[in-house]
This record gives sequence, C-alpha cells and structure tokens, in this order.
Amino acid sequence: MSVTTAPASGSGVRVPARGALLGYLLLLPAVAVIVLLVIVPMAFIARESFALSDPLLGGDMGGFTWANYAKLFDPVYAKTMGYSLGLAALNAAVCLVVGYLLAYYIATRPARRQPVLLMLVIIPFLTDFLVRTFAWITLLGSGGPYVKIARALGFGASSLVPSQTAVIMSLLYAFLPVAVFPIYASMRAIDPSLREAAADLGAGWWQTHRRIFIPLSATGIGSSVMLTFVPTLGVFVIPVLLGGGKDPLVGNLIVTLFTEFRNEPMGAAMSMVVLVLMLVSVALITGVLRLIATRSNRRAV
Amino acid sequence: MDRFVAWFCRIAFVFLYIPIVAVVVYSFNASEVSYRYTGVTTHWYAELFHDDRLLETLRTSAVVGVLASLVATAIGFLTAFALARYRVKGRAFFLGAIMIPLIVPEIVLGVSLLEIFSRAGIPNGLLTLVLGHVVITLPLATLVQMGAMTSLDPSLSEAATDLGANGWVIFRRVLFPLLRPSVLAAFLLSFTTSFSNIVISTFTSGVGTTTLPLRIYSSLRTGLTPELNALGTLLVLFTLAVIVLVGVRQMRRILA
Repeated sequence: MSVTTAPASGSGVRVPARGALLGYLLLLPAVAVIVLLVIVPMAFIARESFALSDPLLGGDMGGFTWANYAKLFDPVYAKTMGYSLGLAALNAAVCLVVGYLLAYYIATRPARRQPVLLMLVIIPFLTDFLVRTFAWITLLGSGGPYVKIARALGFGASSLVPSQTAVIMSLLYAFLPVAVFPIYASMRAIDPSLREAAADLGAGWWQTHRRIFIPLSATGIGSSVMLTFVPTLGVFVIPVLLGGGKDPLVGNLIVTLFTEFRNEPMGAAMSMVVLVLMLVSVALITGVLRLIATRSNRRAV
Repeated sequence: MDRFVAWFCRIAFVFLYIPIVAVVVYSFNASEVSYRYTGVTTHWYAELFHDDRLLETLRTSAVVGVLASLVATAIGFLTAFALARYRVKGRAFFLGAIMIPLIVPEIVLGVSLLEIFSRAGIPNGLLTLVLGHVVITLPLATLVQMGAMTSLDPSLSEAATDLGANGWVIFRRVLFPLLRPSVLAAFLLSFTTSFSNIVISTFTSGVGTTTLPLRIYSSLRTGLTPELNALGTLLVLFTLAVIVLVGVRQMRRILA
C-alpha cells in the first residue's frame, strides 16, 4: 500500500492525492458491506412483500400479489398502524420540544460549561438501551418510587406498569438524547451576537426564536425529527416490557410475523411501509428545509 | 422566559438521570422485591457471577462486539481515509451510501439480514451476528475517523514530504500516530453499540449464540429481578469507562 500525498499543490483544505484509483480501492470494502448487506437484502424484502404465502404453513410461496398490502387495511393491521403513527408523532413532537429547549439551553451557556452539559446528555444516550428501559419498570411499577410518592402526597396511585403512560415515558427517555444532538450542533454555529442584537432591538423570547434560532437551526430540527419519528415505529421492546404487549407497535408485528407466524411476505410488506414512511419523511424534511433556505435567501436579497 | 427554560432544562436533566440512579440504588437493595428497601447488600452482584447461562451470553456478546468492531473500525478507517484524502468523484454519494444504516430503521435492516442469510443458506450464528453488527457500527466508525482526518493539518504531511519521507513512511510515522485516538474511539463506540444491540441480534442470532441483551430481554418478560439491576449498574459503569477513554472533547466532536 502506498498512500502518497502530493506536495503542496494549491491551498485546498484537503490534501489532493495522486492516484484516485487507490481511493476507490479503499472504498471497496465499505461499498461491499452496504451493497451486499443492506441494499441487496432490502431489495429481497421488497420482492418478498409481493409474494404469496401459504395460509397454513406460512413462508414465501413466490408469485406476485398485492394481497399483503391490501391486508394492511384489515382492522387488525390498520389499528396497529394508526396507533403506531399516533404514538410516533407524539413522541417525535415531545422529543422535539424538549430536545430543542435543552439544545438551546446548552448552546447559550458559557463555552466552558457546554461540554459538561452535553456530557450529561451523552451518558444516558450511551447507557445500554435495555437498562434504560427496565429502569422504568422499577420506577413506575408496583411498590416503586412513583407509587410511594403519589401515595405520600395523598393520591390513590397504583402501578403504572403496564400502561400507555409508561410506554410514552420510556419512549421519550429512549429518544430524547438523539433529538438534542443535531439541534445543538446547528445552534452552536449561530453567532451569539445575533441574540444580543435581537435583545437590543427589543425582540421578545418568542420572536427571537421565531426569527433567529428556529430558522438557523432548521437543519438540526429536521434531523431530530427524522431520527425520532420513523424509528419509534420500529420499537418492539418497550411496548412488551412497559405496555404489557396489549398495544403493539409496527415493530412488534414485524417481529411476530417473521419469528412466530412465519408469514414473511406480510412482515416484508409491513417493513416496506416503514421504509417508505422513512423515505417520505426524509423527502418532506429536505423539501421544507430547501423552501426555508430559498425564502430566507430571497429575504436577504 | 429564559428563566423558565433554565428551570425546565434542569428538570429535564434530572429526568435523564432518575432511571440510572434507580438502577444503581435498587441493585444494592437487600429485599427480593422492590416494595421494600430493607438494607444494603452486594448479594446480587455475587449472584451474577454464579449465573453460568448469563456469563455464557456475556461471552457471546463480547466476542461478537470485538470482532464486529475490529472489522467496522478497519473498514471505516479505509473509507474515511479515501474520502478525506483522495480526490474521489461522487464523494457525497459514497458518504451518503455509508450513512444508509443510520437512517433506515433498524428493524428493516434486521429483517433484510434475516432474509438474505436464509436465502444464502447461511445458518444464524456467530457469523451472521458479526456481519449484522458490522452493518450498524460501520457508519459511526467511519464518521468518527473521518472527523479526525479532515481536521489534520495538511502541512504536516507536506513537511514530511519536504524532509524526504515517502508515502508509507508519512502514513506510519506522521498520520497514523495522530489518528490513533480516533481509531480507538471508533473501536470503543462500535463496541458499545454492538454490545447493547437488541434489534439486529433478534434477527441474526441462532441457537447457542444468544447475546446478553437478548438474554436480559427474555428474562425481563417474566419479571425484573434485583440481579438485573446489579447487571445494569455494571453496564452503566462500563459506559462511563468508555466515555472517559474516548475523552469528552472527542465525544463532543463526534455527536454534535
């Protein structure tokens, strides 16, 4: 291997190198992983979502049918679909509001204190997902701190596990850090003097956010929604552990269809729905961001 | 209003830590049931180290984590090097392609892997687990190392060239030593990601290759035991150790 960087030619940030061919060779293993273990497998899932399945034994019977997609409108599936979308939207919205405020708070602290505060968000983020989830069983379950405190305050509280409240709490807890990082990253780049100028010109809190912080952190806000909304649909651990499995999410159905019912074509169709929703949300968010960018450009001119 | 936001955020920070504190506190609870806090004990920790089935899954997770992270870090290094230092056409395209596993919901990646492995006739086991974990750790490993490479001062390798060093010598004596912390960070973060993964493992583990999270999940379905709180506490300590090793500054550059 000879990794040769050409001597200073021009003033580019990146050192231009000889032999772009070697560059492509270095990319080969990553491209192989993405193509063989992500793209091709997803193509097979797309194909399988149109396959017939044996009504008794399950499994992929080949052929072509729209039946799996039509079945998504059956009450059983449609109910889970609607419930999941609602819960995912709620979770994304709460994560966005709380995440935005946290990011704003951290980004407006003195530079010395910011890494410490960010660290406080990173620690729970890197803590094992299952540990973060089962902690809520202790906190909200029978005899746990929640019940004790509520009783001490004179409310007749009983265990919240299993319950929808517990599911919502632990979804928020699971996704909040992910919502903070991208917003913080784009807020850190905002010139602090803009905030001072806005204050000098008499802009209120809301106006400062509407005119400065929200437009300038739009990219981060977009990523934050993207990283919370659709991924919530695929969660299957939380509804089982904290919701008692009564209200499954799309993720639970996919797991059950693949591992228990062996109805892979139906599971594939559901997976495709999740994938398409993800693509749609990415397209929507990018579109909105572009719109904001052109509008603010026009205003600047 | 800013005062209100400050108070709200302080509460949010407390919210982020209540569950972690609860796991640690209850891991020392002498009582079998969480109803009572009857005193302090380290009994549950001792119990953990005698649970052979649990230790077996711990071993599986460690092996899978090390193998997948080594592969992801190595591939990520090559990818980052190519993207940061070579004039590759379609740079944005390649970068976007490598980020796909970050954007596609994990469950879709999981079922796709299950599908392809069963079609290819590869039985679920160590190999499928490692390959699956490589997929989800590769974007992170690449990003971490690329961040470090793009912030390298180009004049360093120019100076080395002027002093007569050839390509390989520059790489080994100048570039790699500077990149070593980011290589370690990529490995550690990949390991943490792999070690705590449950979604991909659900679809890629086979008989005899149950990972630790899968084992925790299946025992949680029958109920939370104090032993699991003890295990959770150890996992929290492990996370803190990783963060200390990676370093606060590098961590911040990676995530935000």
